[in-house]
Amino acid sequence: MSDEYNQKNAPLEAQSSDTISGTSGTPSKDIDYVRPAELPEQDLYHGHSFITKWIFCQDAKIIGVQYFLTAVFTGIVGLVLSWLMRLQLGYPDLVPFITAEHYYQFVTMHGMIMVVYFLTALFLGGFGNYLIPLMVGARDMVFPYVNMVSFWMFFIAVCVLMASFFVPGGPTGAGWTLYPPQAILPGTPGSNMGIILMLVSLSLFVIGFTMGGLNYIITILQARTRGMTLMRMPLTIWGIFTATALAMLAFPALLVSCIMMTLDKMLETSFFMPTIVQAGEVLDYGGGSPVLFQHLFWFFGHPEVYIVALPAFGIVSDLISVHARKNIFGYRMMVWAIVGIGGLSFFVWAHHMYVSGMNPWFGFFFATTTLIIAVPTALKVYNWIITLFRANIRMNTVMLFCLGFIVTFVNGGITGIFLGNVAVDIPLSDTYFVIAHFHMVMGIAPLMVIMGAVYHWFPLVTGRMLSEKLGKWHFWFTFLGAYSIYFPMHYLGFIGVPRRYFEMYDSPYVASATGLNEFITLAALIVGFSQLIFIYNIVSSLSIGKPAGKNPWKANSLEWLTPEVPPAHGNWGEKLPVIHRWPYDFNVPGAKEDYITQTTPPSEVISAEVEKT
Amino acid sequence: MHPGIIFLGVVVGSVLFHIYTPWWWTDIASNWGAMDDTINLTFWIGGGVFILVCLFMVYCVFKFSYKEGRKVEYKPEDHKLEKILTIATTVGVIALLAPGLIVYNNYINTPKNALQVEVNAWQWGWQYRLPGEDGILGTAHVAKISDNNPFGINLDDPNGKDDILIEDDVLHLKTNRPVKILLRSLDVLHNYYVPQFRAKMDAIPGIITYYWFEPNKIGEYEVLCAEYCGVGHYAMRAKVIVESEDNYKSWINEQETFSDLIAKQENNKLKKILIVKNND
Amino acid sequence: MSDNSLNNLPGGFKGMSHDMGSDQTAFKGVQWGKVMMWIFLLSDTFIFSCFLISYMKGRTSTVVDWPNTSEVFSLHVGEVPVPLLLIAIMTFVLITSSGTMALAVKYGYEKNRKMCGWLILATAIGGLTFVGMQIFEWSKLIHEGVRPWENPFGAKQFGSFFFMITGFHGTHVSIGVIFLFIYSRKVFRGDFDNGKRGFFTTMKSDYVAIEILGLYWHFVDLVWVFIFAFFYLW
Repeated sequence: MSDEYNQKNAPLEAQSSDTISGTSGTPSKDIDYVRPAELPEQDLYHGHSFITKWIFCQDAKIIGVQYFLTAVFTGIVGLVLSWLMRLQLGYPDLVPFITAEHYYQFVTMHGMIMVVYFLTALFLGGFGNYLIPLMVGARDMVFPYVNMVSFWMFFIAVCVLMASFFVPGGPTGAGWTLYPPQAILPGTPGSNMGIILMLVSLSLFVIGFTMGGLNYIITILQARTRGMTLMRMPLTIWGIFTATALAMLAFPALLVSCIMMTLDKMLETSFFMPTIVQAGEVLDYGGGSPVLFQHLFWFFGHPEVYIVALPAFGIVSDLISVHARKNIFGYRMMVWAIVGIGGLSFFVWAHHMYVSGMNPWFGFFFATTTLIIAVPTALKVYNWIITLFRANIRMNTVMLFCLGFIVTFVNGGITGIFLGNVAVDIPLSDTYFVIAHFHMVMGIAPLMVIMGAVYHWFPLVTGRMLSEKLGKWHFWFTFLGAYSIYFPMHYLGFIGVPRRYFEMYDSPYVASATGLNEFITLAALIVGFSQLIFIYNIVSSLSIGKPAGKNPWKANSLEWLTPEVPPAHGNWGEKLPVIHRWPYDFNVPGAKEDYITQTTPPSEVISAEVEKT
Repeated sequence: MHPGIIFLGVVVGSVLFHIYTPWWWTDIASNWGAMDDTINLTFWIGGGVFILVCLFMVYCVFKFSYKEGRKVEYKPEDHKLEKILTIATTVGVIALLAPGLIVYNNYINTPKNALQVEVNAWQWGWQYRLPGEDGILGTAHVAKISDNNPFGINLDDPNGKDDILIEDDVLHLKTNRPVKILLRSLDVLHNYYVPQFRAKMDAIPGIITYYWFEPNKIGEYEVLCAEYCGVGHYAMRAKVIVESEDNYKSWINEQETFSDLIAKQENNKLKKILIVKNND
Repeated sequence: MSDNSLNNLPGGFKGMSHDMGSDQTAFKGVQWGKVMMWIFLLSDTFIFSCFLISYMKGRTSTVVDWPNTSEVFSLHVGEVPVPLLLIAIMTFVLITSSGTMALAVKYGYEKNRKMCGWLILATAIGGLTFVGMQIFEWSKLIHEGVRPWENPFGAKQFGSFFFMITGFHGTHVSIGVIFLFIYSRKVFRGDFDNGKRGFFTTMKSDYVAIEILGLYWHFVDLVWVFIFAFFYLW
């Protein structure tokens, strides 16, 4: 980089993190010393009209809420689709309009909506936008305008996706993995407009997400406040940062495969299409490779799993720490585990393809890398439960959701070891075991975190508390219900029931599972309807919730320390905050209170035996 | 009620569910008992970890519920503990991975005496081709498929002439003889899966994939397509009959070879010509 | 802070990690926009890598032979077919435009408005020439019967990959050319000297923007070198 031209930031100060607190041979004796600001203040665009303030808004917090609401809307659509699927599986022929075509369309749209448009957008677009500037002490995202465009791109992508429900032929029914050749051939429902709209919508999502992702990464890297070193960032930020970095490198593969498949569909190129005989006729395709698509798709698809999981890991670490009133155990280990899992996730994609007909020797490599990932993941679990040990645990709704997360995540993680180990995967792949596994680990577990996070940060966003009583009911319905959906579902997989079956007919060995299927369907309906408690809680608390005041949870991290609650545009009022410590100083021996906020200078807590961070 | 009790109930309930579950593996009917063993190994180690982690969590929840002024430990890091946990986990993972890789190595190396069976899949059905007396399947290509040549066998390939064609979805196999399944697809991805045999592999248009197993239990088994292949996926069933050597022989002798088929078609053509002539 | 504190800082790899991990910025003295462009280009690298890897896979696994590239891409000078002539000129033009871009950045930081503006304009014209020659080549191939879905010279994937990848790259060049024209106008108008605010973003203009655009332009050139090597020399 040609920095020699750059005279604006003239002589830089000493840059080591050691000099921040004045320990690296600095002449300063002041224990509260923090290096002066490197960057000038960001000048923000303040909207004046209703449109620039609330709709085309450049404030990351509003954009975060917009992302959140749009994603939740798609999530509700996905939830309803899952009910319809479960009705068919539990009570075949009960609902007359669920034909095989519709069933496969529901499966596909449910999967794609939940993974991409709901979870990814919710964690990175929703929580990312709201929390990043607040937690790192920035006034806003570094490119507020691009951030706004990012949301509207996502919004258009959602509109295109939803439009596919109303085109002739309906939405695509190709399965969320969209495997060619089947995805674009007439044997699949929605193989004309449906699949094209899906591919276009995904491409738009990728473009929109790239804009947002650049913002998240650069805000975290280049716009932190004074004293906020990388190793003082809350784990939430580490999770979102790593997930965004993964997304920036994984989404290109999705974009490329979408472009190529669109061309295969519309121009009859043969990227993924070999010679095909359908209904006795040789099609115009020839010479392409369907397995290539699977490689591209899973090169995106596996990091995608961690794009959803890593922010959840980060957020749950913070929630546990705050509500257990204890520092997170092994912070550095947690950071390296997040980064390590992120890095490794690019080398494991073909474990989704053990029985796909790829070169069988790949199996050895990918089984090994996959099981290596189990090590840092297991360490994170250990650290969460060790954090609970000798803590002072508030048993509120947020903590309940965290505990629910630990149970479901450990369960789903361990079934992941089954599926990652190639010889074990062969009998289990493409059965209900897979469905149960990934719903447990990247469906229910991140949802537990999302709901916990909503209970945790709702007071910050709206200034009012959610009802604890309703929250607990909501938790138990959701957790016990979801667990009783997916835990028994593993056993369907053990029997060998294949996934994506519209109907099992009277296969001799699954007849015994009819009752189980009915039970799962009922549980799914109950869990779905119990979300009404959640929605009611949110809506009613907006007006009648207990006023939260400042920092109701007595947390340390920066987002609770804004001069106004809820934080205003620009976040910090006159002066940016100055950071003196990590966000986990709970119950420090010698301190007066059981928490020391990140902005508390050392001179105020002189007798506390804090770790140097 | 203390929430810890319910979490404890979830753990106990999971264990009880496992003990009393009526839903478990179908009885294995092939040589892949080793796969079941690796699954069981993973199940016990994994299940043990799940129970331990959850019980420890429940213990903490009971023991350290919020009490004003409780003394909380302040220990951000414990390198020794972290090291022990890392090593223990790594050892556990190796113990799970190593047997899996050994089994997988067997899975991808077909024994020499394996009987070849070509499975043809299309939307939505199956048919089979067995090598004739020469033990070699003739080359084939989907583009050559026609009413007269349902498998697209290359007419110039002498190996293909004695291939046995089964235009039906019932496959017979003899017991205790390894079978190498060669998978071909006419249109989209499929997967030839018999739960009792444990093994499976996708059929991909354009290339030939394979897997092998040795059926060792006489009986009838349902074949399921295990890779989503369009709207008829769920109906794409077939049947495998594993039978004794004698029964198998009598079955295979009834099947028609490719040259039989060609001869029959020639005959039909002649007949047609004759009929036309007679009518004149 | 006194200079003597600088001496006590750790050097080498440790120093680098300390710098990256310190507060406020991970890359010291690098503007937000510049970091953004670098990370965007990293992401874009993955897009082109996916394209090129798919192309390699497609080319090695097709059943029909790949056409002989030195014949397909040859240009007739009089009666003699000269292989790679057009491509050589295209590549030369594009790389030259990278040179003018680098000079434009230099004059920009020297606040030499005139030179900077003219050099950006020259770069834009170089890019436009490149796109023009690309259109010529496309129309030549289309004239000879090459289509995304078929190809008279051999494997049909040749046409699909060629049009898709050069098309994607050509789109990058075209976007770059549009921005170059806009920026040359802005330079001539003096926006970068008086810090006029952008039309959409309301951010202050700064000569760094030219360097950022330069990064993009050099990247597009670099990608072309790979496409050149994989399509024309293989």
